[in-house]
Order: sequence, then structure tokens, then C-alpha cells
Amino acid sequence: MRTTRRISQVLFFLFFVFLFIQARFPYETDLPSDLFLRASALNSVIVLLAGRVFVASLALGVIILALAIPFGRFFCGWICPLGTVIDLTDKIVKRKRQKIRVRPTLRFRWIKFFILAALITAAFFSFQFIWFFDPVAMLTRVFTVAVFPAFVFIVNAAFSFAFTINFLENTVYDVYDFAQRTFFPVNQPYFYQAIPIFFLFLMILSLSLATRRFWCRNFCPLGALLGVFSKYRIWRRYVIDTCTNCGICQRDCRMNAIEDDFTLNNTVECIECAECVSVCPTNAVYYRLGRPSVGINKVDLSRRRLVLASIAGIAGLSLVKAAAKDRKKTGMVLRPPGALPEEKFLDRCVRCQACVRICASTGGCLQPALTESGWEGIWTPVSVPRLGFCEYECNLCGRVCFTGAIQKLDIEVKQKVKIGLAHFDKTRCIPWYRQEDCLVCEEHCPVSDKAIKFDLQKARGPDGTIRAVKFPYVVADLCIGCGICENKCPLEGAAGIYVTRENEQRI
Amino acid sequence: MSELNRRDFIAKTALAGCATASFTTAPVSVNAQDHPQLVVAKNSSPAELVKNAVEGLGGMGRFVKRGQSVLIKPNIGWNRIPDQAANTNPEAVAQVVKMCLNAGAKRVRVLDRTCAPAKSCYKNSGIEKLANEAGAEVRHVVESRFQEVKIPNGKLVKSWLFYKDALESDVLINMPIAKHHTISGITLGFKNFLGILGGERGKLHTDFMTKVVDINLAVKPALTIIDAYRILLRNGPSGGNLDDVAIKKTIIAGTDRVAVDAYAATLFDVELSQLEYLKIASEKGLGTLELDKVAIKEIDLSI
Repeated sequence: MRTTRRISQVLFFLFFVFLFIQARFPYETDLPSDLFLRASALNSVIVLLAGRVFVASLALGVIILALAIPFGRFFCGWICPLGTVIDLTDKIVKRKRQKIRVRPTLRFRWIKFFILAALITAAFFSFQFIWFFDPVAMLTRVFTVAVFPAFVFIVNAAFSFAFTINFLENTVYDVYDFAQRTFFPVNQPYFYQAIPIFFLFLMILSLSLATRRFWCRNFCPLGALLGVFSKYRIWRRYVIDTCTNCGICQRDCRMNAIEDDFTLNNTVECIECAECVSVCPTNAVYYRLGRPSVGINKVDLSRRRLVLASIAGIAGLSLVKAAAKDRKKTGMVLRPPGALPEEKFLDRCVRCQACVRICASTGGCLQPALTESGWEGIWTPVSVPRLGFCEYECNLCGRVCFTGAIQKLDIEVKQKVKIGLAHFDKTRCIPWYRQEDCLVCEEHCPVSDKAIKFDLQKARGPDGTIRAVKFPYVVADLCIGCGICENKCPLEGAAGIYVTRENEQRI
Repeated sequence: MSELNRRDFIAKTALAGCATASFTTAPVSVNAQDHPQLVVAKNSSPAELVKNAVEGLGGMGRFVKRGQSVLIKPNIGWNRIPDQAANTNPEAVAQVVKMCLNAGAKRVRVLDRTCAPAKSCYKNSGIEKLANEAGAEVRHVVESRFQEVKIPNGKLVKSWLFYKDALESDVLINMPIAKHHTISGITLGFKNFLGILGGERGKLHTDFMTKVVDINLAVKPALTIIDAYRILLRNGPSGGNLDDVAIKKTIIAGTDRVAVDAYAATLFDVELSQLEYLKIASEKGLGTLELDKVAIKEIDLSI
């Protein structure tokens, strides 16, 4: 059973990576790249609760949650890609072996239930904070902004070197082109948030130094949720009387779920990894369907802590809400086309960066924010035109958003949705400031009656002569705020044209 | 092209002439011993037009020798479909690929440094698919393959980054589409070579007319084929609106790149004097601006 579980973990992880990699322009396969995100019951429950709306794509998580009632936390042990990464880290990390065999501490176990209770309370008041904790969103995020860009950087460097080897050049070009067509992005993605997101992730992995699956044991609210539901599971662990009380199963249990009476395990904590089945020297341990009442099923959260958790949830949300005042006026950020009105958007967005990831394969304007849109908006997708632009013929961000924070828009609709408005900075723009022709912005403007037009006027150029110069201006009714003008402006540093969220349409 | 093969050309043109004689009605004002500098083919499918235009110039064998490598530079700059006339016609490109391979080219590459995201452009232009099927290597541009080139006789641009394939291929074929462009008036062959440039190309937009000629001093296209099957009259170069597209069913092929651009300009409502770069280019010796001094052959395939 352990081998089967390991194969399952590897296959699901590879499937996760495959879905991640195939989510790229033009995305014709339409394979659900969000499958794992949807399978996270935490995402489903909290988004449904905070968003107060049923989204069909969230049903999968609810099904997995329902399956936990009879079958327990199979998701954690067999499927969860973060769990697999943590298991791998645990294999690599060398911990100090304890001389005398004592059960590792249970002191932190309650934290995950505390977090869950706080999150649910906050969600009741329509505030969604799972984005920091959800394991699948976390892994997708770190893959998007750190792991994949770093991988691309390395591969690009290798290609650059290979191109310099003369006799290999044409072969290398063939290989490069094959990579481009299959899994590799044309452009190197860049993300300002790569470093903080990666280090937070590294911290979670480094918890392996303490005990195995430290995150899962003590912090993961998804595990807590599935655990609470699998209290009365019928798929359970049995120990027959060949057991010699050697205690190897307790020592090797990655979830620390086996009690001091080795025949008992905690059904809330057990993730059915079957390690105990495989390590038992007398083959005394096995799993089968059985009556739910036997055993221990304690949810390690005292009533006092439950109350504290609810208070913490409310306090936390009030704090964050108070930190962002009047977003409509002060929020400077551009949201992707089809984003819900800001409040609703924040309720739904779990910061998985699926939109950011797929955007990087076309226009590349989306970046995870830091506090540009308030503390509430950390790591939400914002469009940064100087780094990329919203590609006119693309609607992929909405197509991969499984929570509906960004709506799926038909391409014809999306092409008309205004995400902002371009303005000329006449102290920077070349024709306005230097009286020379430029119009690169006009060249790239994708709307077919161009939103950038020009007046032909006589002006004194830099060489002192009077000449006819094309002075550009923006037609607000035509501009959709895609930001390609700001992106392509040939000035170094700040562009001569920039996009604000004026005219923004959020439906 | 080398003088040695003139005899061959004569033989081949004679054959080609016989083959197309039944279609050719326009008066051929060219001495049979010389190839025209410019052939204009009209009123057929893009592939047929290209075929006849190049054959009118003496056939692809005049430009591509057995075992040579060819780079075709179409315009694939925009994420648009062929009907929107923002990119070179894919059937025309595929036809050139076939002709190069038939002439014995060892390798035909097709590429452009796009303005919109490359994958979208390559796909939606239709060029990736058709050129690949015709046997070309349609390649994405790789940043590390740009090389700095000195342009000693350039007036404003003294050096720039050029794509390696454009510099090192034995034969360079320029295949622009004719369309409106605010800064250059219309974009044709000269402007199309911005697609083999690295660096911040937007900087070329100031004093564009001089700079575009400077850039062209660094490359030597053996052949320029302008796709005017559909032309974009307004809102170029990106286009998008079908109302701005006019169907001209014309392909202009030639060896004199100034004359080719000058002829293509006559399809637009634009004064030749507005295309200041042509004057600068002819003064630099890149070609002939006065069309009446150019040997032009017109082929009407509708009759």
C-alpha cells in the first residue's frame, strides 16, 4: 500500500506540473489547469462562504470534502502536491535522531484548527484570507513567480551558450524551437514578488528540520478541515494481536497520529499514507472498512481557543479593512479585464497566480501586487504596463480563474472592456517635450479606430528649425487601457504615456 | 547576382516566358535579354501571383543556388489574421518557400521579431503553419542571436543589433505587406527590415526617414516581394478593422528595392514625396526612385 501511495503521489505531482506547464497561450487544449486548486476543499468552502455565491467550478472541492467523511484525509496523503514536495524535503533533510524513543510533541497541533476557525469566522463576515494558507494555491504561486522563471532563466542561459558552438548551431535552433512550441515561454517571465514568495515557501519547507510534515501536522487549515470531516471515517487502521509493541509505527508516522497505545490512531490526524502498514515488522497493521466508533478522534482545539480563534478572525479582518481606506480614490492599480468590483474581487481571489502565469505567456502585464492595492490586496494580480501589456487578442486570465474573481469573457467582449485610460505626460513624451516625431504608441495601439490620434502642427525642433510635428493625444472613448502604449514607449525610465484606472469598468 | 549565369537565365526566362505567354497580355517593355527590375503580377491567388512575379524576374534559380541558405523576412509583427492585412499573406510566403526549395536551397528560414507576443503572431498570421508545411524552418527570434553591426555610412544610426540569420544567410528575401503606417506614411520593404533588429526599435521613430535608410545600408536583400494582395489603408500598422482593408490582388517583386517601394506606393493615396526615405535611399545609391527609368513588367492573370 505504501508503494501504491508513493506512485499516486508522484503521478499526481507530475500531473500538477503538467497542468501547470500546459496552461499557456494559446491554451487550445483547454485542459483544466485549475484542477488541483479546485480540489482543495478549503478554497471551495471559504470562497463560497466569503463570496456568498455558488461557482460550479468549486464543486470538486466540496466532493472531496464529502468523501472525507467515509474515507478520511486521502487528499493529504495521496494527492496534495504540496504534501508530496514536503515529503520529498523530509527525505532529503537529515534530522537529529533521538536516542530514547519519545513521541514528538503534540504542542502545536491545535494551531491548524485555530487558523481554520479564524478563517471561517472571517469568511462569515465576507473576508477571505485563505490565500496565505491554502497549500495548492501556495504551490501554484511559488511555481509561477519563482520556480518556473528561474528554470526558464537557466534553460535560456544554456541555450545562449549552446548557440555559440558553431557546428551545433542549427541543431540547437531546432531544439530551441521545439521547446518553444511545447513547454517553453518565448519571454523570460519577471516577477518582483519572486524573492518574498520564494522565501516564505522556503521557510515552510525548512520546518522539515523540526519534524516531518511539520506544516501539515501543525499549520495547514486544509488538512484541519478535511480532518474534522474525517472524524467518523469508516476506512480505518486496524492492528491485530501479532503486534509486539515495538513502537516503530509511532516513530515513523509522519503525521504523529499514532497514540501511545500503538493499536490506536487519531482519525482526525491520519492521512492514510500507510507507512505504518509497511514498517510493521510483524505485519500487524492494515487498513479496511469498519465501524466508525472505534478509536480516537479528538479535534485538538479547546473551546477557549475556538472562541479566541473567532475573535482573532474578526480582529484580523477589522485591522486589514481599517488599513485600506477609500480604495476607489487611492487605489492606483489596474486590474485584469473582467475583474469583479474590488470588494467582491478580494473575496474571491486566492492569489494562486494562475492568471499571472498564463499572462506571462502572452502580454505579460500581470504581476502579484505587494501593498499597491492595500494590505488586503497582497499578491492579487495587477497590470503593470511598463513590464507588459494586456494583449488585445487574449482573454486567458479569465479563462483560468477558477474562483471567478476574473470573469470569463468572450474575446469580443473583453476587447471592449476598459481597464483604464492612457494619459500623455507632456513633460516626458518626445513630440510634446522635444518637438520631434515619434508615435510609437500610436503604432502599437490595438483598437482598430486608434485611441491615439495626432494633430499636425508647426513647432521648433531641437535643431532650431521650424517643422511639422505630429502631436499625439488620447481619445478617451476609444482607449481600453491595455497599456501597450506605456509598454512600448521608447523613453528610458518613466514612459511619456501612462495608464490610470480612470474609466475602469468592473461589472 | 553573378554575371556567370546570365546565359542560363536567358534560357530559363525564355522557357518561363513561353509557359506564361498565354497569360501575359500587358506589353512587355523589356529587352528579352535582360530581366526586368520589377514585375507586377495582378488578379489571381497569392501563390499564383508570387509564382508569376518571380518567374517574370527570371525564376527563383536566379537568386537561390543549390545548397544555399535562405532567410525570408515576412511581416509577422501583429496578432492578426490574414484578412486583416497586418501581416504578409501566408500563402504568398509559403509559395516563396517552395520556390526556394525547388531551386535547391539547403535551408529556408522564416522569422520576424514581432511587436505583439510572438506565439500569437506566428499562429494567427497563418504563416507558421503554411510555411512549415511548405518545408521552411519557421523560427522564433532568440535574444542572444542579435549581433552588433557597424554602419559606417549611416547618417544617424552608426551601429545597431541585427539578427544573425539576416546577416549570415546566403540569400535574404524581403517580403513585406503594403500597409498604412503613421510615421513612415506607408510601410513597405525598407520599414520591414526593422523586424530583423534587436534593441529598442522605438528609438528609430525620431528622424525615421533617415534612420530607416541607415538600417537598410547594412543589409543586402537579393529580392524584395511586396504583398499587396490585401492592403491596409488606415489604422496601420496594426490594423484590425476589415473596413480599412482593400483587396488589390497584386504582388510586386523586384531587385531594385527603392523602385519596388515606389511602385507599391502608387497603390495608396499618397504622394511619393511624402515617402522621404525613398529620396534619401536613392541618393545613397540603394536604387532608382524614378519609375520611368525602371524596366517594369506587368502581368495580368485574370485574362
